[in-house]
Amino acid sequence: MSEEIEAMEEEETKLKPPESGDPFNETEDVIYRRRSVRFYKKKQVPEYLVRRILEAGRFAPSAGNAQAWKFIVFQDQKMIEDMTEDVINVCKRVMKFTDYIDSGIKWKEWNAKLAMRFMSNMFHPIPFGAMKLIAEGKLGVWHGAPTVILFLTDMRCPGNPVLDIGIAGQNMVLTAHSYGLGTCWVSFCTPLGMLPRWKKRLGIRYPYKLVTSIAVGYPRGNPDGYVSRETQAIDWFVEDGTCKVVY
Amino acid sequence: MPEYLTRKDKRKIESYSRLGEDMILGEVVIDRDRCNGCGLCVGACAASAIEMVDKKARMVEDFPACISCGDCVAICPEDAIKMTTFIEFKRYFRYIDRGKPEPPRKF
Repeated sequence: MSEEIEAMEEEETKLKPPESGDPFNETEDVIYRRRSVRFYKKKQVPEYLVRRILEAGRFAPSAGNAQAWKFIVFQDQKMIEDMTEDVINVCKRVMKFTDYIDSGIKWKEWNAKLAMRFMSNMFHPIPFGAMKLIAEGKLGVWHGAPTVILFLTDMRCPGNPVLDIGIAGQNMVLTAHSYGLGTCWVSFCTPLGMLPRWKKRLGIRYPYKLVTSIAVGYPRGNPDGYVSRETQAIDWFVEDGTCKVVY
Repeated sequence: MPEYLTRKDKRKIESYSRLGEDMILGEVVIDRDRCNGCGLCVGACAASAIEMVDKKARMVEDFPACISCGDCVAICPEDAIKMTTFIEFKRYFRYIDRGKPEPPRKF
């Protein structure tokens, strides 16, 4: 084993930081060009590629090196369809009570406002809009991707295990995009962790918690590319102790 | 210095059904002459805000829930799409500490 690592280390070259204004290197390019993909080819992703993507997740940093993740890979289209159907049903049920957009029914609006107050992340207008689209069948859950990877976290792990899932997931997503594959983060899978049918079938029970999922597949067209994005204010305490704001 | 929400903001949560007042949705402009009707942007849209009419793409007229993710801009093979308005909320969910949109920068 150590011989193998030595051989790999001999191959590697020392990395150098770029000069100011240099073009993006390969890693930066993958990061900046990554776009969520919602339009996939039917062609299945070969097993070795999925294994390589999972391997990138395995080597992600985690709190106390506790590796708080468990991955479930789905390549069975029937199963993905079943899960999609159940997610749609859950969305429909939620919309029945909280659909305030052009329903004109006052009590639904009250429900939605109440939900926004107590679950302001879930009932943020953006996921709410997506939930409505899913319930109406206008938006797919996994967008017809041939491979779905579910992320479970071990809740006994140190620190914030849900954060570790995010780190591992981003490693995997960037790796997939460097192969020319497409991915999309889908957190609408979380209702499956509450349905007894799926809890039993997928083994989602303590200490495991279903956190999120990604869809993986070959994209149609060429979705990766640069776009504009809002800048965020960064407070920067410079060496003399004063604070400047950069964008 | 950072912006904050006040307690009053926390109490006042709107239902976000009044477009233009409580919520400003994202907007893209599609160049109809350049559009070749491939339909990639319709599939790429995260909010089903683009539809095909007469083999040309256009934004959905009623409630285009565009989140200005830029997926359509990136996927368009003819570079016919441009983002003009970015999504914005008022009151509780308003974005704070944001600057102007920029493409990836080399410093």
